[in-house]
Amino acid sequence: MQYNKILSVIFLCLFLTQFGYSQEADQIKGTVTDQEGQPIPGVLVQILELKKGLVTEADGTFRLQLSSNEDYTLTFSFLGYESKQQIISKDQRAKNLTIQLTEAATDLQEFTLLGKSELSEIREKAFNVEVVDARKLHHTNLDLGHALDRVSGVRVRESGGVGSRMNFSLNGFSGKQVKFFIDGIPMDDFGSSFQLNNIPINLSERIEVYKGVVPIGLGADALGGAVNIVTKKVRRNYVDASYSFGSFNTHRTVINTAFVDKSGFTVQFNAFQNYSDNNYWVNVDVADIETGKYYPNQRVRRFHDNYHNETVITQVGVQGKPYADKLMLGLTAGKNYAEVQTGARLVSVFGDWHRKGTILMPTLKYNKGDLFTKGLDLNINANYNFGTEQNIDTVNRRYNWFQQYKEYETEGGERSYSMYKFKNNNAVFTANAHYQFGDLHTIAVSHVFNSFNRTGSDELYPEKEIYEQPRKTSKNITGLSYQLNWEEKGSISAFSKIYKQSNFFAMAYNPTGNYGDVAYRNNKETFTYPGYGVTGSYFLTGNFQLKASFEKSYRLPEPEELFGDMVNLQGNLDLKPENSYNYNLGLSIWKQLHADHRLDFSANGFYRDAHDFIRPRLNNNQSMQVMDNLYNVTNLGVEGEIRYSYGNLINAGTNITYQNLRNNTKYEEGQTVPSLVYRDRVPNMPYLFGNADINVLLSNAFGKGNDLALGYNLLYVHAFYLYWPSLGAEKFDVPMQLSHDLSATYTTGAKGKLQLVAECRNLFDKVLYDNFSLQKPGRSFSGKIRYFIY
Amino acid sequence: MKTNRNYLLACMIALVISLISCETTPTSEGPPVVAGESRYIIASTPMASDGVADYLLTAESLTEGTVSTLGNGVEQDGTYRYYVTHNNKFFSMLYGQGNPGAVTTYELDANGSLVKKSDFQSETVQAFGPMDDDIVMVKISRGDEPMASWYRLDTEQLQIVDDGQWNQEEIANNGERAFFSWVSQVGDKLFAPYFSIKACCNDTFGTSYPDSAYIAVFDYPSMELNTVIKDNRTSFIGRYFLSGLEVDEKGDAYAFSGSIATSNGEMTSTLPSAFTRIKNGELAFDQSYYFNVEELADDYYITAKTYAGNGKFILTMKEEKGAYSTGNRFGIADVYNKTFTWVSGAPTEEEIVNVTINNYSTLNGKAYIGITTDTGSWVYEFDAISATATQGLKVEGGRITAISHLDPAE
Repeated sequence: MQYNKILSVIFLCLFLTQFGYSQEADQIKGTVTDQEGQPIPGVLVQILELKKGLVTEADGTFRLQLSSNEDYTLTFSFLGYESKQQIISKDQRAKNLTIQLTEAATDLQEFTLLGKSELSEIREKAFNVEVVDARKLHHTNLDLGHALDRVSGVRVRESGGVGSRMNFSLNGFSGKQVKFFIDGIPMDDFGSSFQLNNIPINLSERIEVYKGVVPIGLGADALGGAVNIVTKKVRRNYVDASYSFGSFNTHRTVINTAFVDKSGFTVQFNAFQNYSDNNYWVNVDVADIETGKYYPNQRVRRFHDNYHNETVITQVGVQGKPYADKLMLGLTAGKNYAEVQTGARLVSVFGDWHRKGTILMPTLKYNKGDLFTKGLDLNINANYNFGTEQNIDTVNRRYNWFQQYKEYETEGGERSYSMYKFKNNNAVFTANAHYQFGDLHTIAVSHVFNSFNRTGSDELYPEKEIYEQPRKTSKNITGLSYQLNWEEKGSISAFSKIYKQSNFFAMAYNPTGNYGDVAYRNNKETFTYPGYGVTGSYFLTGNFQLKASFEKSYRLPEPEELFGDMVNLQGNLDLKPENSYNYNLGLSIWKQLHADHRLDFSANGFYRDAHDFIRPRLNNNQSMQVMDNLYNVTNLGVEGEIRYSYGNLINAGTNITYQNLRNNTKYEEGQTVPSLVYRDRVPNMPYLFGNADINVLLSNAFGKGNDLALGYNLLYVHAFYLYWPSLGAEKFDVPMQLSHDLSATYTTGAKGKLQLVAECRNLFDKVLYDNFSLQKPGRSFSGKIRYFIY
Repeated sequence: MKTNRNYLLACMIALVISLISCETTPTSEGPPVVAGESRYIIASTPMASDGVADYLLTAESLTEGTVSTLGNGVEQDGTYRYYVTHNNKFFSMLYGQGNPGAVTTYELDANGSLVKKSDFQSETVQAFGPMDDDIVMVKISRGDEPMASWYRLDTEQLQIVDDGQWNQEEIANNGERAFFSWVSQVGDKLFAPYFSIKACCNDTFGTSYPDSAYIAVFDYPSMELNTVIKDNRTSFIGRYFLSGLEVDEKGDAYAFSGSIATSNGEMTSTLPSAFTRIKNGELAFDQSYYFNVEELADDYYITAKTYAGNGKFILTMKEEKGAYSTGNRFGIADVYNKTFTWVSGAPTEEEIVNVTINNYSTLNGKAYIGITTDTGSWVYEFDAISATATQGLKVEGGRITAISHLDPAE
């Protein structure tokens, strides 16, 4: 249904210009408001007789020219509101209409697509962007990571159950090469307490996935894309609370609520909690604790994998004031606890080692449109993280999967005796302004400042001087863009970014030349790199859009890569940034086959030419990993998505991604003959994967106003090799994965709604792996109860 | 230990019984089983920057032909693996950065193919070597607690039969810590040459004692520390993860020092790279024996050795000192006659990218060493008597990390 509307907006827009020139016309102006008189932007206004229409402006107004000698019927429709018709007869021509829409009795927006103003805005950006309507997933138990896993081109790999390490990859780029944002604020250094693996989907309204080319508004150093999590825009009071319980003693609670006073005073409160024992069954060779002899293929439960986190986000401020559209001060506070069950392979098992983390982050958000002059918008965000991370490994034992252990009398750890606790003192400041003038032109500037200052200590070794040495880095990224925007036809924009990084650190040296003398001298290094890009989009017809974009991008080394993590990673101060030339070409078609049948199709081709990939290797004495600029890759890929909907009843779709990641390092260091694995497929990276889903909504099931939604999701990942595909005859691989998830959601209630959800993941209890030998949970069940009033 | 002996006994009895029973079984009509041929085992690491795994290749000859990892070889899990052959079994050990993991054992079948025998779990170790029928493995601490863990692996049972800990600080007894370069069987004792390390203060592998050689001597199989022997004529013996000790046919142990101790990243050894000796049955350095190789070798120092038998070592040498440098020039040192000869026929210093440490020797004057140049990798046949090297088997696809030899398993 919503697809319909979007389609019609785009379609109708095309005729609007012609329409504007019709003769003997009356100018009709109007404003569309909600029950409280607040203007609603993006309302579809259709003139039935002409089969044409338009949408309201940001201030809720619209303007029409109608022939003076005919009657017209206008319909006003907007998601979440009852549609309204208004007859404009030729005799009575009110020149200034006020249309008030009333909220729809059924809150269908939970199951439908985005508000079209937002969607069309994002589409006009001309970036290769995919938008996930998070609201459609609010009834599920997904965290952000699992929700993103259903986007085409995206593969999220996890090492275990709830709270386990996730590695996100997007069109072949993975890990830190893809940047994450919450409402445009980089998430880089929020710490382990506020990450993809623990933020519930309910916190977000939509998720924008930028592939390859990132707008300067998200002014960070992403190599191959960015994910922006957009949280709820609070315009009125609401409560949305849910609790779920499931297999492996998993409990999750989410409470989102807001209070908006007429004066504009706003209080927003989000709290969430995850708890899981993650004690799912795995198949593993269990080693005898004394002899090392394996008892092959035993089925055992994970026993040291408890994870829990608790996070509260509070924001207080004002909205709709002359000096600020929005000014919010907030505090994000949380903590997490994670037990470490395994090392890089399932055979290495731990029973006491664990980690802890906290986040304590004050935030500031400021936003003002039409500052000083019309068309000039300003956004400012700032935050500072006082959070800590701690690695606790103080029990000198060796465990096996039967939970037997051998204990040593001396001090030590299972891996490395440690209680190292550190703080990264991370500050982020972002500002961006854009100025729109002469209808067609927009200039935007943005700046991101990021600072890092690690301080740490280990109570086991209070005397260690290394902990006292400075490890500081700061990043400044400035962007400038110019956009030319023909709303109905397309847009083109060009941009440039300057990446600047300063590192401040200590180096050991011998001040006297005598044996054993050591002192530290502070070093400062500064680097600057320029990036640039261009994007364009064009509507061939009203339902056929082409997009193309290009960017030369950089990713600066992360503080952890420069300074190490004090546990497994040694710092490398000689790291250069990774860089890449990213090309995208995409097309989208929206096709209304019939009143109720609708088909959407989109396809994107992409090419990446990346250099100096930062990858781990072992250090000289092979005790730790160290990040280094290792090799070049190219990636030529294609992804496609097709969706079909039948009214509100059925919505089904599938997407598939193929990426051809190839090693582009022809000569390895010290070699004059081409490498044997030159142009070989990059190993340990999924290259063919996809999702399919079907959702059925039975309205008025078991009584009027009650909805029953049934959902099915299929995940497919083609098998891939752990090591270079062309080498060796007997090889290790990560086998093909096929996972089926089912859910049923029953919604009841008029204003306040009660939702009951039953979910089954991995229906056929398949042994699933994302990483070699690290099994993911088998079949799991969960039930959820959710109550919300908007 | 008693139970182990009993177990062994039981195994042997079982074996004997099975052999007898085999003999008494009437032979089938098929052709008689031809005893398979032996094979050379070559481990190769791809020259690539990521996704690196070793491949085990087999070859009939080391002196000719080509063997490639392209679509060939047995992939080894884990980027960094090390190999030891003992009792005609090939052990593929992992280096898992502190994590325990599976050690894979291979034997050769009658067709000359590697057959996986069994896995067993082991810790990541930094030193390992054959000792009687066992392999002794040592996990050495460089970090916070000064305890090294040792394990005795029974190569028949393929499992760990005993383990314990050594205190590296007590062994060093100088305020620093003993870091074993390797473990070797010398007579009925286990010799563990070590270097003294600070293990602290951002200079983990530095030392304030750059001009001493130490060997910790352990009784076997009790693994109790017998004594620590010391010599101030050379710096430490061997290197990180590299053996500096070799026992000759007479049971005398010869030890080389590369003279590469550091402090705060600077080379601080002042003594030349040289050989010393511990005579058969003694637990002290032979003060009458000292062989200054550096003096004869144009100031090059020793980075690694391969023993070719009859007192002759094939030495890998390097001019500029470094704690982890790979040698790029070869010399023959005759430790009996204290003579030194440069080898001819090997690639030049400029050409050499890598030299294999874990090599195969016939112990009758010939040894086979892997060399990677900027154009590829080859096994070179070194003749210690004529001091020549000859290009042999080409190994396509990477560096050679080990060269070994197996006979078909019975």
